[in-house]
Amino acid sequence: MSEAGSLVDELRALEREAQDAIDGARDPAALEQVRVAFLGRREGRVSRILRQLGGLSPEARPAVGAEANRVKQVLRGALEERERRFARERADTGTPARDLTLPGRDRWRGARHPVTLVVDEICDIFARLGFTRARGPEAETEWYNFVALNTPLDHPAADEQDTLYLKGGGLLRSHTSPVQIRILEQYRPPVRILAPGPAYRRDTWDATHAPAFFQIEGLAVDEGITFVDFKATLSEFARRFWGPGTRVRFRPGYFPFTEPSAEVDVKRRVVGADGSVEETAWLEVMGAGMVDPAVLENVGIDPERYSGWAFGMGPARIAMLKYGISDIRMLYENDIRFLSQFA
Amino acid sequence: MNVSRRWLRAVAPGLDLGAGEIAARLAMRGAPVEGITDLAAEIAGVVIGRVERVRRHPNADRLSVCEVDGGNGTVQVVCGAPNVRAGTCYPFVPVGAVLPGDLRIKRVRIRGQESRGMLCSARELGLGTDHRGILELAGQFDPGSPFAPTVGLDDHRLNVEVSPNRGDLLSHVGVARELVGEGGIRLAQLPGAVEHELTVRTGSPAVDGAGARVRIDDPRQCWRYMAAVVRGVRVGPSPEWLASRLRAAGAHPINNVVDATNYVLLELGQPLHAFDLARVAGPEIVVRGARQGETVRTLDGERRELDEGMLLICDPERALAIAGVMGGSESEIGEGTTDVLLECALFNPKGVRAVRRALGMSTDASYRFERGVDPAGLELAIRRTVSIIVATAGGESAPTLLDACPRPWRAPVVTLRPERVGQLLGVRFEAADIVKLLEPLGYGCRPAAGAIEVTVPGHRSYDTLREIDLVEEVARVHGYDRFPDSLGAFRPGAVPDDPLLRLHDRLRTILVGRGFLEAHTTAFAPAEEGEVEVLNPVSAEESHLRRTVLFGLLQAVEHNFARGAADIRIFDMGAVFGADGSGGLPRETNRLAVAMTGRRRPRHWSAGDRPWDEWELRGLAEELVAAVLPGECLVEPGTFDSTFFEEGCEFLLRAADGSVVGGAGKVRADRVDAPVWAGPVWGLELELGDGVRGRPDPVIRPLPAFPAVERDLALLIPESLPARQVLEFLERGGGRDLAGVSVFDLFRGGDVPDGSRSVGFRLRFQSERRTLTDKAVDRAVRRLIQRLKEEFGVEPRAGAADSGR
Repeated sequence: MSEAGSLVDELRALEREAQDAIDGARDPAALEQVRVAFLGRREGRVSRILRQLGGLSPEARPAVGAEANRVKQVLRGALEERERRFARERADTGTPARDLTLPGRDRWRGARHPVTLVVDEICDIFARLGFTRARGPEAETEWYNFVALNTPLDHPAADEQDTLYLKGGGLLRSHTSPVQIRILEQYRPPVRILAPGPAYRRDTWDATHAPAFFQIEGLAVDEGITFVDFKATLSEFARRFWGPGTRVRFRPGYFPFTEPSAEVDVKRRVVGADGSVEETAWLEVMGAGMVDPAVLENVGIDPERYSGWAFGMGPARIAMLKYGISDIRMLYENDIRFLSQFA
Repeated sequence: MNVSRRWLRAVAPGLDLGAGEIAARLAMRGAPVEGITDLAAEIAGVVIGRVERVRRHPNADRLSVCEVDGGNGTVQVVCGAPNVRAGTCYPFVPVGAVLPGDLRIKRVRIRGQESRGMLCSARELGLGTDHRGILELAGQFDPGSPFAPTVGLDDHRLNVEVSPNRGDLLSHVGVARELVGEGGIRLAQLPGAVEHELTVRTGSPAVDGAGARVRIDDPRQCWRYMAAVVRGVRVGPSPEWLASRLRAAGAHPINNVVDATNYVLLELGQPLHAFDLARVAGPEIVVRGARQGETVRTLDGERRELDEGMLLICDPERALAIAGVMGGSESEIGEGTTDVLLECALFNPKGVRAVRRALGMSTDASYRFERGVDPAGLELAIRRTVSIIVATAGGESAPTLLDACPRPWRAPVVTLRPERVGQLLGVRFEAADIVKLLEPLGYGCRPAAGAIEVTVPGHRSYDTLREIDLVEEVARVHGYDRFPDSLGAFRPGAVPDDPLLRLHDRLRTILVGRGFLEAHTTAFAPAEEGEVEVLNPVSAEESHLRRTVLFGLLQAVEHNFARGAADIRIFDMGAVFGADGSGGLPRETNRLAVAMTGRRRPRHWSAGDRPWDEWELRGLAEELVAAVLPGECLVEPGTFDSTFFEEGCEFLLRAADGSVVGGAGKVRADRVDAPVWAGPVWGLELELGDGVRGRPDPVIRPLPAFPAVERDLALLIPESLPARQVLEFLERGGGRDLAGVSVFDLFRGGDVPDGSRSVGFRLRFQSERRTLTDKAVDRAVRRLIQRLKEEFGVEPRAGAADSGR
């Protein structure tokens, strides 16, 4: 008998033996033992024959290979069929194989900080109005924090911000406005930037004050920028951020580095559960104004040719209004029960 | 600035607005009202009561039994005041009404006599401190009519927020001017006050007259000093009209002379000071800088030590007052004062600011001088003060006003181009329109070629010195709300989006996707956690700037541990500071920190808990480093910060050039105050550099056309030999067709000798040109085993090496 013939016979015998074993298996565990005994990768009897293929003559190899594969297919089918029968039997006895009403494997849900959510939303809206994001150092000099911003240190306006000073020189910026100077020193108009980041003041922690807080500075400088552009851009932003129907009010204000200066208030429309529409009270949301010509002169930009506007916003306060947060300290406690509510 | 609505109307007779309307208008002029107090609300239930009859209380000497007509017939009231008289009107609280302090008046019996109501003192009504008797009303009123409006107490106090550039709004006249314009201001004739015939005698730097002398030694700090003398005054309480007006504006009446100066301060914004003339040696006023070591006792009783050069008001012998800040107690007006010297001066705002800051104090006077007092308003102020003092305290004014004036004021003139107004505001304004907007506020306008020459009034001469200041005035008076807000065309900005902020975005996306919560920590840290010191910190906990972000995260972990949370995953990004900066500033870099503890995934019914471990940390570190730095970067065991991480359980994060960019590890137990049930805390800190770096686009390799062959190799590796060395050796030495090596198993014990472990490597062979034969692959594996033996003395684990297909 040829080596091929004997192996083919052996395979057929195995097939019959395996069929009997499959039919005789009483439960899924027994069935699994049968599978391992015949088809197991290392010790399975069919697998072992397959492994001998390499030693066969090239003429014998195809026939044996084909037969081995056929036997494998048949046995697999039989195993699956038997498996299905077990499953049907289980279903018949009223024990479902899987109770899919059980909870799935959950994952931890991450979340951005609420202040980040607000900052990102603001930056996204302004990005569509041609703005990019910019950044500056948090430890600053008096020049960038005050003097270049047209705020002489011997003027009461410097008192509005109780500044933290550093040993060895410098201070912690009391607002993000120094970024205006840093950027205008580095780039020529057109400049349209937002500068989100922390600012620092000598405040003690309470429900509405924090010695470190986020601010977003906005700055647009180009030829032909007017008070009308200023109002229009910020109104457009406000309607996109707080929703259509939001009313925007510009009141005269005072900042040493803008003139005319304005306080910007918004009044939102809130639709109640019953469909009724109500307006909120006026909410003060930013300080803003046209860039003071003295600021442009300080960075070597001709104020007769270029003009601009700027604003400062507190995303923490906006986040508090938006998400109903009553105490600013919650934003810095990092309680995961709080943070995970933004997932 | 506290403003009384009635007082506003007194200086602007045409102003007939309610408090709410005034607040709305001021807001649109840049002076928002923070609060409105209805001064009559607390005494709304009080009526006029006329006492008809008074008899002694039968059972008490000090009490009287009165018949009071409170408008609703006559009721019996028991009263303890000594000054109750029949036929006189008093404030009366009937039964059921409420007094300040939520005191509800009930029907009571006092020593057997029924009492149905209460006659009140000024103090009981919250109108003052006088409690010697009930408040006797001069004149006759209708019994039962409401008390507050009848006696003129129905007033509102408006708390006006005044920005630092608008010192002119720190007075009733200043606020009224915004509401009615300059033309609508008319100072009311005050009860008993008459204009005195006073002639002004001017001199510089010294002047004398009225039996006194004034000399200015420091004209740089004292620009003008006016003085008046009133002799023969009787110091006592102010009349009710004056006292109640001061109270309405939130000031406390003191005595008739001081109250007169405060009245004018609040009405016109000019601080004045009254000296007891008998206490002024000479009498001569000398305005000079302080000498070294000089002190003065101020009105608040403090002895103030002065720095040399601080401006003082002195007599020839000693210091009397700190100029523009506070008077001295030794020349204070008292009950014995008969002759008064009145000061009405103009000081350099910067000088006053420097002195009051150095002394750590602020007063109504210094507050106004710092923000600029109307240089054209002194004479009116001192004349008005003199007439009020004579009306309320008697005496006689000396006929001469002294006026030492080394720096006569000249109104600034600013050129305003209507074209520039249009260029900046985006709306065209004709010259005539601009004049109409500016003139009511006191600006003098004279048309010139293509421009307007604007003369600035004294009260705006501190903040309106440039053309842009007038542009703002035009916009403000025109009304910000009247400018259109339609969006026009714009050029996009030339500044590239900040790479570090873009890196922040990317890292947030990775970490949030992996289930981490973004925390916000501050840059503050206690001394042991920072190198850079804050000079004026609020607390010791915030006395330095942090050198790591991880420190704040670990505090947050503690916070959450303390609230029972065992599973914590947080991160934050921000600046850290080092002392070795340049240009006088600290070195500032940006870092990411991550902290985690507890379970890797939420508990599920199908499986047990798996906590975070060093392998999860290492995997996360590798992912984060790769996100931050392009190219080959490395995570390896090593010490990054031994104050944070446990020895032997710490990784160093390295950039491609070998520089250390961060560390990660198991946080030392003494670093976190952890409850007993808490698992280990893992932390990571990573420098972010300048942000997203230029990253080459990937160039795609063709997908393999030929099958891969795998071989597993279990090697006995001595504990002293780092597995990484073997792994790298395999990767390097496996030949061209070795596509990858991974570790699939680590085993100790059993047949593995002590001092070694069995590490299972899976080698994956794949050729780009052909199907690999078993023979070729086996040959390659054998060669590797041989070379491993030579290189490291490492042997395959007997019988365990498998060649699965």
